[in-house]
Amino acid sequence: MLFTRRLMLGLAMAGSMVGALAVPAMAEGPTEIDLFFPVPVDGKLARDMGTLIKEFNDTHPAIKATAVYTGSYDDTLIKTRAAIKAGKPPSAVIMSANFLLDMQIENELTNLDSLIAADGTTKEKFLGQFFPALQGNAVIDRSVYGVPFHNSTPLLYINADKAKEAGLDPDKPPQTWAELTDWAKKLTKREGDKVTQWGIAIPCAYDYCGWMMETLTMTNGGRYYNEEFGGEVYYDTPSMLGALTWWNDLVYKHKVHAPGATPGPAVSTSFISGNAAMMMLSTGSLTYVRDNAKFNYKVAFIPRNVRNAVPIGGASLIVPAGLEADKQKAAWTLIKWMTSPEKSAWWSRATGYFAPNMAAYKTPEMVEFLSKNPDAKTAVEQLDVAKPWFATYKTVPVRKNLEDEVMLVLNGKKQPKEALVAAQKAADETLKPYNAETSLKLP
Amino acid sequence: MSLAEPAALPVAASAPPHLHILKRFATRFKTSLPAYLLLLPSLVFLALFTYGAMGRVLVDALYQRATPKAPLRFVGLDNISAVLADPAFTGAVINNLVYAVGTAIPSIGLALLFALALARTNAVTSALRATLFLPVLIPMVAASALFLFIFLPNVGLLDYYIGQLLPVLPNWLGDSDVALYAIMVITIWKNAGYYMLFFLAGLQSVPEDVMEAAHLDGAGPWARFRHITLPELKPTFLFVTVIAILNAVTQVDHVFVMTKGGPSNATNLVLFYIYQQAVEHYDIGKASAATLLTLAALMGLTALSFRTMANREGGA
Repeated sequence: MLFTRRLMLGLAMAGSMVGALAVPAMAEGPTEIDLFFPVPVDGKLARDMGTLIKEFNDTHPAIKATAVYTGSYDDTLIKTRAAIKAGKPPSAVIMSANFLLDMQIENELTNLDSLIAADGTTKEKFLGQFFPALQGNAVIDRSVYGVPFHNSTPLLYINADKAKEAGLDPDKPPQTWAELTDWAKKLTKREGDKVTQWGIAIPCAYDYCGWMMETLTMTNGGRYYNEEFGGEVYYDTPSMLGALTWWNDLVYKHKVHAPGATPGPAVSTSFISGNAAMMMLSTGSLTYVRDNAKFNYKVAFIPRNVRNAVPIGGASLIVPAGLEADKQKAAWTLIKWMTSPEKSAWWSRATGYFAPNMAAYKTPEMVEFLSKNPDAKTAVEQLDVAKPWFATYKTVPVRKNLEDEVMLVLNGKKQPKEALVAAQKAADETLKPYNAETSLKLP
Repeated sequence: MSLAEPAALPVAASAPPHLHILKRFATRFKTSLPAYLLLLPSLVFLALFTYGAMGRVLVDALYQRATPKAPLRFVGLDNISAVLADPAFTGAVINNLVYAVGTAIPSIGLALLFALALARTNAVTSALRATLFLPVLIPMVAASALFLFIFLPNVGLLDYYIGQLLPVLPNWLGDSDVALYAIMVITIWKNAGYYMLFFLAGLQSVPEDVMEAAHLDGAGPWARFRHITLPELKPTFLFVTVIAILNAVTQVDHVFVMTKGGPSNATNLVLFYIYQQAVEHYDIGKASAATLLTLAALMGLTALSFRTMANREGGA
């Protein structure tokens, strides 16, 4: 025992000495900052990020930024939280836009208002650079907590060759749910019991499923969640009931959509292989479809039942709480540089996401790119009707409360109404602690 | 060098019993000091990375916050009862039991079959052994990513081949009735080759002379297998069963990559439930409580099986 205790003491002393030596060594030279970045879609994003950061370091000698790849959006949240807990937060993170509210509630974000003010500009002017649809997920309680970096909306992808085969005009894509149902019926091919070609595919896996439900609910006039307050979702409502019933009908009444829950990669593979003639998927998949489709395709707005509306997706740059002032300032320089029109446009062309900075579309390279790839324009045009992405207290579990029930419906185990009642009940339960502290905390 | 010292102890027998015990401890400590010193490096690492972490889990399991901004407070066993009352946890436990039984029995059966077929060593069996062992070498994450595409409805490899025979096939990973079994197939495919190694080793210990005697007595292949090989393999069976059950609880890479526990929690296993509590719900208290329950169950199981094993060996 004596020996172990002595050894422990020795270890502790050695540790503190190493720590004492390391800290002053780091204060010299350029400010070192880490940027955590996820790769949510397939492709060469990691290499593109390396190029971008190298250019930043070459043009900013006072700062040395390091890009750290942190996996998916969810993994990036985990790693950021772990780093904050360990007292060594990264200086900037590309964070899924709908995690910001949850992080703000947990006191894990730096309020960016003072950094904006220090630049001699106003919040309105700063936010004014970005598409209005993106501001909802960046602003919490009228303070800025995130800067939009790359964004997406859902799109309707159509196999134009198959549409022509079925006597449909791909230049006049379906605009309403009724037209889409009609198209899907005409595009479904059967051999006896076996379906050899599905009319439409809509993804449903955790994460994607909630986003598609928000899309369908919004085109049906609904809201999905309370944009102003993180303690409420609207699952058991007519607008969502209509949305889920229509999806259920596509599967079990019209039989033009495969039963069961199909993840995003399975949907895009199905579309590319010609097994599904239409699909609803993120604009983030546009580059993948462009590079892999061996047929003519068209992209269109998500059809409406009540109104045209879609949620945004994608990520914002955030600064975690608990950073030293010099790192905070360096991170802010990096963030402003990364979201400038030129860099924003470059990143958009490399990845297929749209550029959140409106001025990016006025750069000559972008004008040329859009004239060559008119399909990339549809996503930008749809932004006029885009709305924020759902974000609540505990966004992921609250979303899962709905997704589990939607999956039961798509598997033919529950009817839409009873599923939504159950989802609402579960979500209310998940949101209870937050409401106890806010809306139900009475004087 | 130390053997002589305990022999000197009876001399001190007249001293009061209290002192006697102390002295004995001191002597014993002195004699075993080299052993402790040799163990020290691994003890330090065990303390830092295993017992330290377990202690932390034990502490975390006792604390909870009432509302998001409230401070942590001591809640005793509340987290544990909250976990036990959570239908998602009981669902995960049931899934895990089905998964454990449904993967352990087929993979052990296959492993035994492979081992019996390939017990003799020659060029052909060596090549076949290597082939059967190959899935063990592929990381679970890589294998899951491959199977994700094999299981794709309509366009995947599986549907391409079976689709020629059957008209309507399930959405393997998207159907809540089928997904867990699809996951189990991967586990069996991956683990059977690994367990085969243990059975191959076990078969070496079946005494040749007993076999020969049985042969001379006119025992057929089935009788020899039933009355000689199987009893001799009992310790191997026990060991492999424990490993298979531990694997069923600790290997969730494929759940993570392929289904994330879905659809509708159909493939949610206990370890993935713990991950969800810690990461998605950000509820460290509940995650720690579920970890403790799992650890207790696993330790109980291991202790029981090793005791049975010791009893058997003692009895034999």
